[in-house]
Amino acid sequence: MSDLLHFSEHTLQEIALGVMTVVYITRIIWLMRFKTGKERQPATGLRGTTMRNGVLYSWGNIAMPWAMESTRTKMFIYGQFVIFHLGVTVAIGLSFIIPYAPGLLESALLVRILQVIIGAACVMGVIRIIRRVSDLYMRAISSPDDYFALILLTVWFFFATLAVPNSTAGGEGILLTYFMLTAFFLIYVPFSKISHYLYYPFTRYYFGKTMGHRGTYPMKRVPEPRR
Amino acid sequence: MKSSNKRSHKAQKVLERFEKKLNRQIVGSLVACVHCGNCTSACHYVLANPGDPTYAPAYKADRIRRIFKRHFDWTGRVFPWWVHAKSIYTDQDLDDLKDIAFGKCTNCRRCSINCPMGVDFATFNRMARGLLVSVGVMPEGVAVVSKDQWEIGNQMGVLKEDHVETLEWLAEELEMEMNDPRATIPIDRPDCEVVYSINPREVKYDPRTISDAAKIFYATGESWTMPSEDWDMTNFGLFSGDDELGGAVARRLYEKVSELRGKKLVISECGHGYRSTRCEGPNWAGMDITDFEMESSVITMTRYIKEGRIKVDKSRNAQPVTFHDSCNNARSCGLFEEPRELLNLVCEDFREQYPNRAENYCCTGGGGAMSMSEYTPQRLKSAKIKADQLKATGAETVVTSCHNCVDGLSDLIKHYKLGMQVTQLVNLVANALVIEPRPEVPVEVAPPVAEPAELAGSKILVVDDEPDFLLFVSTVLEDNGATVLQASNGDEALKLAKAEKPDLITLDISMPGKSGIEVFEELRNTPETASIAVCIITGKPEMRQLIYNRPVPPPEGYLNKPVDEEAIMLNIRKTLKLISKE
Ligand code: SF4
Ligand code: SF4
Repeated sequence: MSDLLHFSEHTLQEIALGVMTVVYITRIIWLMRFKTGKERQPATGLRGTTMRNGVLYSWGNIAMPWAMESTRTKMFIYGQFVIFHLGVTVAIGLSFIIPYAPGLLESALLVRILQVIIGAACVMGVIRIIRRVSDLYMRAISSPDDYFALILLTVWFFFATLAVPNSTAGGEGILLTYFMLTAFFLIYVPFSKISHYLYYPFTRYYFGKTMGHRGTYPMKRVPEPRR
Repeated sequence: MKSSNKRSHKAQKVLERFEKKLNRQIVGSLVACVHCGNCTSACHYVLANPGDPTYAPAYKADRIRRIFKRHFDWTGRVFPWWVHAKSIYTDQDLDDLKDIAFGKCTNCRRCSINCPMGVDFATFNRMARGLLVSVGVMPEGVAVVSKDQWEIGNQMGVLKEDHVETLEWLAEELEMEMNDPRATIPIDRPDCEVVYSINPREVKYDPRTISDAAKIFYATGESWTMPSEDWDMTNFGLFSGDDELGGAVARRLYEKVSELRGKKLVISECGHGYRSTRCEGPNWAGMDITDFEMESSVITMTRYIKEGRIKVDKSRNAQPVTFHDSCNNARSCGLFEEPRELLNLVCEDFREQYPNRAENYCCTGGGGAMSMSEYTPQRLKSAKIKADQLKATGAETVVTSCHNCVDGLSDLIKHYKLGMQVTQLVNLVANALVIEPRPEVPVEVAPPVAEPAELAGSKILVVDDEPDFLLFVSTVLEDNGATVLQASNGDEALKLAKAEKPDLITLDISMPGKSGIEVFEELRNTPETASIAVCIITGKPEMRQLIYNRPVPPPEGYLNKPVDEEAIMLNIRKTLKLISKE
């Protein structure tokens, strides 16, 4: 292993993670500086629609595609979302496995599984790029950051898929690119829309709390009977 | 917040106030959008305007979000173009924002419940409205209605004398109908179980909802009252985003109930009124309401039936009905099972519409849209979704628990020629009511005298270009003793009004030549005819500008076509009664 690859796998990642952590903490402190609205209204709604249940339901929404019309009626897009985010998790995990537990990758089966997941996420990334570019509505709401973040992740998935075997047999190019992209990704995240996962627990918490207290969450649905 | 000398005074003020309006929930919604587009097809504006992405919730939200990003977001401040951050500079920028915040969104919250990230666009759109209102940028109707609610205490500018006189007249009618002096509308009675609060639309234009509620209270023997002042449970602060107005209006009503020592504040059927009074009001007013309860009249009526305090015969409501959930009731207050329970108790043939409950589509009249006549064409276009939903039910009547929805639905039913009626639960309950004769109260019986016809001595000018309708209204009025004059166009109407000085004019809006709106304005602007009472009878939404924008004093009455004899007579009697008292 060259010094550059060693630096990329270890020091660079640690610096990137450190920067990301500091920026994230700063972001959270910034968000917490804003006051929360005080809720004085006595609860409304059916029994079971409480603040607590509303929050749990709201957090759980992500795993309940049937709960929201927007996911229920677009299962293909929901499927893309699941695979894409699974890919992110696995590709991030890979940046820890390679330097700290490379032995795991001696299992050909595990290598294959990780490659399939990250590869599928890469394909989803391509589909998402096409959708963002070709759909009139998506174009209208997209900023350069939206395009860049998506392309960045898709390219990163591509190199992550190739990097899974942790092999330098054909040269270090793949691994170096993967780790450098990972470091860039970690540093770029807090400044881009990719930081949404930092806000996700908060936004869904407050929305769930409000809607639970007001009797809407957990949502009761009466679908049209099949004819 | 940096100031810029390139910026207009108003734009500068909006920016200065932006920060003060931010709370954690709103900031979360402003930073968390990932532009996934999931909310796009949740919005009725998008569905009714295919190919126009400017209606997409995230697009609209970004018009507000980009200001936030430019001034509060790290990346937005350094590389604004990268995240589409942009400040506001000119009054035109504010006007553009107004057209989005007020004209392209009813704050229905349907996109909010469809956002995987929990972005609540409707809430920060309301914030944007509030910022615009704070610098005087708002639709004309919003300005007029807000002013009346601040100054007169209710959003239709109903004066205390008119309110009390209408209640007294309704009480007399009820007493006559029930043939019982105990059938009345108690005003300002202290220590009652129920203080009943209403929407000013009821006292001004839809008195039947008050008399139906009074009949129900009478049948239960409830101890109830209506305040003579501070009785408005609607709150334009919800629509205008003005929390101060919201707090002031809610506080007045709460203090009135406390002053009367009422045990329960019952809120008549109105979505935004219920949400403002029951849910948001305590927050805006900064009051914890502990000395009385608050409930929707839907819950009150259901309880009366379930407790056996009133009996109903559902066969009297045999026609097929469907139920439209008001967004404020269902989506923002969880009130959707209760109206269905009541409907099933008083109607024979209730048909769901899909989607329903918290997923229902807006009537398109929400968020104060009925008062913004400049956006009427796009409102009616976006109503196509609701129209299709109603049509699919095959019902003849659509029931809703909201006065705004009554107006919104009435407009779209006419626009899309659905031929349906709109009614409220209170009307259906009153219609199904089986009133047991009460033990007689001994009263001195005067010798019978022949009753004069109800409208005897009144001169009424009926104006309509449809000969059948002209004949129908004229016959109803003549049968009830009125002297009727007829005009089939605007010029004829103005000539007759000046020459004959009728007590009242019933006026159609859509006529060839001079429209009813022009005729009405000319009547009001001509000294000899300015004080003649006018009741608009129309099928056109344009008349709402007379009610909300009020370029001249609003009409004394209005009725939506089609009308029946009972509705005509109720409105005419009410208007004539008020004039005679004056
Ligand atoms: S709140 Fe309603 S009207 Fe406004 S954007 Fe969302 S779905 Fe559309
Ligand atoms: S669904 Fe939510 S995150 Fe996606 S575009 Fe709409 S508001 Fe943004």
